Amino acid sequence: MSGGLQDPRKTFGAAVAAVAESDPRVVVLSADSGGSSGLGEFAAKHPDRYLEFGIAEHGATGAASGLATMGLVPVFCAIAPFVTCRNFEAFRNDVGYMRQNVKIVGRNGGFTYADLGATHHSLEDYTLIGMIPGVVVLAPQDPAEIRGAVRAMIAHDGPVYMRIGNDPLPQIFEDDSFTIGEARQLRHGGDLTVVSAGYMTPRVLEAVDAVAGEVDVDLLGLGTVVPLDEEAILASARRTGHVLTVEEHYLRGGLGGAVCELLAGVDGVIVERLGVPHDYVPSGRYSELCARFGLDVAGIARRIRQAARRGGPRDELGSRRTPITAAAGD
Amino acid sequence: MITAEETRQAGTTESSGVAHRDAEVAELELSAARTRRRVLRMLQANPAGHVGGALSVIEILVALYRRAMRFGPDRVTDPQRDRFLLSAGHKALAQYAVLAEVGVVDDPVLDTYGRTGSALPGHPDLHKLPGIEANTGALGHGLPIGCGMALGARLRGYRSRVYVVLGDGELPEGSNWEAAAIAAHHRLDTLTAFVDVNGLQISGPTAQVLGMESIAAKFAAFGWAVVEIDGNDVAAVCDVLDRLPLSAGRPTAVIARTVKGKGLPGLEGTVASHYWKPTPEQLHAAIAAADAAVARAAARVQEVAR
Ligand SMILES: Cc1ncc(C[n+]2csc(CCOP(=O)(O)OP(=O)(O)O)c2C)c(N)n1
Repeated sequence: MSGGLQDPRKTFGAAVAAVAESDPRVVVLSADSGGSSGLGEFAAKHPDRYLEFGIAEHGATGAASGLATMGLVPVFCAIAPFVTCRNFEAFRNDVGYMRQNVKIVGRNGGFTYADLGATHHSLEDYTLIGMIPGVVVLAPQDPAEIRGAVRAMIAHDGPVYMRIGNDPLPQIFEDDSFTIGEARQLRHGGDLTVVSAGYMTPRVLEAVDAVAGEVDVDLLGLGTVVPLDEEAILASARRTGHVLTVEEHYLRGGLGGAVCELLAGVDGVIVERLGVPHDYVPSGRYSELCARFGLDVAGIARRIRQAARRGGPRDELGSRRTPITAAAGD
Repeated sequence: MITAEETRQAGTTESSGVAHRDAEVAELELSAARTRRRVLRMLQANPAGHVGGALSVIEILVALYRRAMRFGPDRVTDPQRDRFLLSAGHKALAQYAVLAEVGVVDDPVLDTYGRTGSALPGHPDLHKLPGIEANTGALGHGLPIGCGMALGARLRGYRSRVYVVLGDGELPEGSNWEAAAIAAHHRLDTLTAFVDVNGLQISGPTAQVLGMESIAAKFAAFGWAVVEIDGNDVAAVCDVLDRLPLSAGRPTAVIARTVKGKGLPGLEGTVASHYWKPTPEQLHAAIAAADAAVARAAARVQEVAR
């Protein structure tokens, strides 16, 4: 890892501002949300390209579609549930169905807005937005990828949703290159495939390194959830026969669900999923909630060890039933 | 405390005496001061929260809970109770504090604010705390739910009234205006919406973020009865509550001009008070000011009684 921790929102805002310098098509939309999305400086510098809609996310999403029809590239960032759930129909029809070049960014994804409670959590966005045909779903994994993903999503001609978190993130990648749809092979191993996405990856990487020597993990880090890098996941799953997905998302649907769909027809592969049980997450401290669901470094390491003990189909110990509760037995 | 409802039933009129009324206003002002102090008590447990918008609505909530609403510790599950909906759910600290002030919540519960699994989440949860009627927090939900409650009460033959508090920054959410039309069409005169016009939201002055003035004219155009008041003047709030519904067959909108962060030294009327993470010194100063306000209000109660 290089450098200290970086604020994902500020990193995001600065990246948008940087791209907008050379791309006059970029306009930023705010629903009383721009400043908190790291776009305050952009607003001050380019007031003509900063459109404030007030607390009206559904209207802003429709307006983004309209702006895109005029050849502009609207970037709209707010708290994740308000740009996925609240505006869902505008997202589906005006952005998705109309196939408009709109970029919607949900910040404070997952339950990172821990203390604000379930209204402010976003544990269904991969599935919800991934269900809209033609929308790319990004989940950059570190500050370098946030910068790369911002450039890639603006360069991409079509609707994009991107999820970023809240807590400061370590930089784990050297350069900020980003290719939509491409997984990164972060560790090579033969015992267990671990698939992670978004801001979980630095944590997963730490857990994988913590169990190195005990469990030989093949770690795939995804900056793109939709489209899934099927080739990379299939290849790794065939090598290890045993896959564990890790995400701050409901176990229903999500990355784990997508991996299950992918591997449903593949013989001899077990899939396990670590994520959030299908219920409303209480308000509280982020670190405590992560620990509760086994989504902190210790919990992830524990689950990897457990999975390894259980083994793949080669030792015939594993049942094929996919656990539906997070960190079952922890 | 005589509720507005009881006053109506007893047929008492405004002529029941200026002294009596002064005493009641002084009593409510003391209640408001104690409620502000309780907001700070929660910050002592966890020094972060949506403080500014909570402090601007204290007088409205105190007048509602202590004077107008058929509600109290013995009525928390009474189907005929009046309903209060905090559409601007981020003002939860105000509702938690007033629920403690009226004895529905025990004060020590306030000290759990910020803990994982606390009954006092960052936004209210009806499954966690008695007295919470809806899981607001995403803005723009309270008024539609309130319409349903008012319609439901009518269908069930309940006398329940429904009170909703909205923020002015919340008004652009289209769902509010869908509800405004629904309420007027269905002649929901048991429904009253307070718009807390403190003039500020996260990004700055509401007029600059997305101007919604004239708020009064908008509600009036939808068919609501409208009144504008100083929302930090508890007597003015009581005056309106005593006259509800302002017009038979129409829902009422109370446009309440208030001060964000009311009572916070140095932070009244500032955007910085929106989500406040006080330093220990700032919190200390705020508590000193709140305690002094309680003492002043208590002295005033004594004075009026004489
Ligand atoms: C649907 C939705 N969008 C955005 C937010 C984030 N948010 C919380 S408070 C707030 C500003 C609210 O302003 P206002 O209603 O005027 O409240 P006040 O200033 O009185 O606190 C915003 C944008 C939210 N809670 N819900």
